[in-house]
Amino acid sequence: MIGVGAKGPVAAAAGLASAQPRLDRDHGGWTGIELTELDREAEAPYWIAISLVPGVGPVGFARLLRRFGSARAAWAAGPALLEALPRVPADAAPALARLRREGATRVASRITASTRRCDGMIVTALDPAYPGALGAADPRPPVLYLAGDPASMARPCVAIVGTRRASGYGRSCAAEIAEELARAGVTVVSGLAIGIDAEAHQAAVTAGGLSVAVLPSPLDRIYPPRHRGLASRLVATGGALISELAPGHAPGKPDFARRNRIIAGLARAVVVVEAPDRSGALLTAAAAIDHGREVFAVPGPIDAIGSRGCNRLIADHQATILTSAGALLHRIGAEAGGRPVSVTSLSDTEAMVLHALLQRPGSIEELIGRTPMPTGSLASTLTLLEARGLVESYGGATFHPTLTARRIGRPSGLDS
Amino acid sequence: MRVLAETLSASIMGVEGLPVRVEVDVAFGLPALTIVGLAGSQVQEARERVRSALRNSGFEVPARRITINLSPADLPKDGTGYDLPIAVGILAASGQLRDLDRLRDTALVGELGLDGGVRPVPGTMALAAASYGAGIPSLIVAGGATGEAAAVTGLRVHGAASLGEAVGHLAGVRDLPLAEPTQLPAIVATRRGPDLAEVAGQALARRGLEIALAGHHNLALCGPPGIGKTLLLRCAADLMPPLEDDEAIEVSRIYSVAGLLDRRAPVLRERPFRSPHHTISTQALVGGGPRVRPGEASLAHRGILLLDETLQFRSDALDALREPLEGGSVTIARVEGALTMPARFTLLAAFNPCPCGWRGSRQRECICEDATARRYMARLSGPLRDRIDLWVTMLPPAPGNATSTDGVEPSQAVAVRIGKAWRRQLERQGSANGDLPAGALDSDRGFGAAANVILAQRARRFRMSPRRIHRAARVARTIADLAGATEVAREHVDEALTYRGAVDS
Repeated sequence: MIGVGAKGPVAAAAGLASAQPRLDRDHGGWTGIELTELDREAEAPYWIAISLVPGVGPVGFARLLRRFGSARAAWAAGPALLEALPRVPADAAPALARLRREGATRVASRITASTRRCDGMIVTALDPAYPGALGAADPRPPVLYLAGDPASMARPCVAIVGTRRASGYGRSCAAEIAEELARAGVTVVSGLAIGIDAEAHQAAVTAGGLSVAVLPSPLDRIYPPRHRGLASRLVATGGALISELAPGHAPGKPDFARRNRIIAGLARAVVVVEAPDRSGALLTAAAAIDHGREVFAVPGPIDAIGSRGCNRLIADHQATILTSAGALLHRIGAEAGGRPVSVTSLSDTEAMVLHALLQRPGSIEELIGRTPMPTGSLASTLTLLEARGLVESYGGATFHPTLTARRIGRPSGLDS
Repeated sequence: MRVLAETLSASIMGVEGLPVRVEVDVAFGLPALTIVGLAGSQVQEARERVRSALRNSGFEVPARRITINLSPADLPKDGTGYDLPIAVGILAASGQLRDLDRLRDTALVGELGLDGGVRPVPGTMALAAASYGAGIPSLIVAGGATGEAAAVTGLRVHGAASLGEAVGHLAGVRDLPLAEPTQLPAIVATRRGPDLAEVAGQALARRGLEIALAGHHNLALCGPPGIGKTLLLRCAADLMPPLEDDEAIEVSRIYSVAGLLDRRAPVLRERPFRSPHHTISTQALVGGGPRVRPGEASLAHRGILLLDETLQFRSDALDALREPLEGGSVTIARVEGALTMPARFTLLAAFNPCPCGWRGSRQRECICEDATARRYMARLSGPLRDRIDLWVTMLPPAPGNATSTDGVEPSQAVAVRIGKAWRRQLERQGSANGDLPAGALDSDRGFGAAANVILAQRARRFRMSPRRIHRAARVARTIADLAGATEVAREHVDEALTYRGAVDS
């Protein structure tokens, strides 16, 4: 079932207001807990078992550690551990009773086995493999399920997020930023969703970089299902998939709010490429601000509904305006990667059309006013440029110059 | 006394006529009139009409056992055109019509009024063609239907106003005049739809329409409501070249069967332009029903089938279009066997990108859930999608861009280009590029090695299926024809690929 459509963003908007207090330092509570004093091997089964109890989230788990000193001690406390939680759902007590009957060790080995079945591994916040940036975040998920290479998150990570209903402009920006980041050795983090997310993942791996997808679902049920192929491509190219939900244990709706917080926690900076007024991407931005991450927003035309959220972030000084991928790299201290590949020789008409697109991307309709060419020749030239990798078309409707074209810059011999 | 007589007539199967022999047997027995040979209810009612018509024309109905057989007897028959041959058959069998010479080479088609008047029936043109095709040189029809029948070249057509006149002619008492062969009407430019000059902007969609009409390629326009999809596609009615002579007869026959011909101008010259409403049933769209009638798909034969709001059509109706889109004909399976009707049309489709219509728009937010929007687009099934040659996504003009109709080309100018491109195709291959079978485009038809290499390169780059490649090749051929080029060049292939549509990500 897909509850994402309207409900996702609406719920996200509702959560935007209430998210702030819950993410507050006082409530997060991981700061100051000395994890190094805990015995990693001995604690692990209890961490896994407790994290499966409904109502135990990143915040609740920290409370338990504070109250009982260790997960093992909390488990030993039996039903009393629920009293320490900020919010106890109705199914928490029966679920805890069931887990306790099974025993923490057996629960842990069962979950470990189901994680292995989807080529994943379990990483607790005690493990050295726990992603570095997330390990410094508060709150942080106690247990992560991870497929692929954890080393991909040891590099600087930047998140690219945005609407599922991406426009050609949004897609093109997402791809361009992701490509530039990937070339500079930055890992591109996103949520595997349709639209901006997929575009960013795709562009990063195509440019030979690493990309990490944070899933709203367990590893054994990739959401959305149509991106299963993309997910395995990310893993195959050295990236990773992360989920907070145990495979085989946690059926139910995809959890977008928790995914968004992990994305924000993992990344050094979050780029919101395109987001309408009530977008889940804005929740990620809010979480990023809360985590003290830098937030960038790509500005859009003021009449574009799809960019309203981004423009508002900029107007409200919640995000830095992003004018180029290079500026972003400079800001996070990474160097821009490899230089252009090859410059194809262009005819006069081709150069003219590309020039017009470099000035302002748009539809054929908009280009017609700016180039003295018949519609047919214009269409033909655009397809040629697309075949040469200089232009990208979105549904044959709007056309954008690619990164390569931008690097070539303005063809010489033409006045602007 | 036992007398057997035969008259000749014809029946309609789908849009084709079939010769039918009307056998009349007058035998001793209780007075009765029986019609056999899979005669439908309209034929059964002929008994009453024929009885009255005979009496009121001064003939007598023999008080004997009369049996009428319509042969071939396994072919279902309906309609009122058998009235005249049945009445004449009774007269011949009962000895009231003695000279049977003319009856042997004259077919009869007509409905009888109670007063003995002869009235025209639908499908006269198809019936005339069938009886002439069966080697019967003459035909008597109602006076009003001679124009339709005389469109069949070589057939001698006589128009009879009444049963008496028909019998008088057959007996050689008073000859009916021979109808003048129907001339193909002169081509006159009439306006059926709006003019392209009324359409503001949308250059790409205009160009797509021009290519679609020039080469008979199927076109889909997708865009938000109110952007001018319908207005633009309605212009198509006046952009198509007139029907060729043989096409005119072929199309007129279909309209004759459907009863849609104007008897005063029985041969159509303009290409059909059909735009059924989206509530249409599958049967009405592709034909069928207890008495098989041509559907909109056949009525659009050699012309245009416009499906406005395509995705609002019943999905079974849309799926039924796959067959005509692929093979140019509709086959309807009946208990008695399958029958085929021609349906080679150019499909013009227009739809919104989602139920609310605003998906992908910059100006307004789409309120549809993703799953709903996906289901909506899925109504256009894969096989149907594959048969659309040109895709154009229409976007609202950006703010500040002119929306005026200044300097846009009027229909007349575009129609001239389309007409020229159509001539080139006819001279080269005798058919439209869109109707060419796979593999028919070779260097003899201006699709040389260079064009093939470019197309193959692009196909790899854009990951196109073989079917899509083949469709793109035909579109490129049309673009070259519009440009007056003998050889398909790189730019023609590239332009064709601009309309290849989005690959769903």
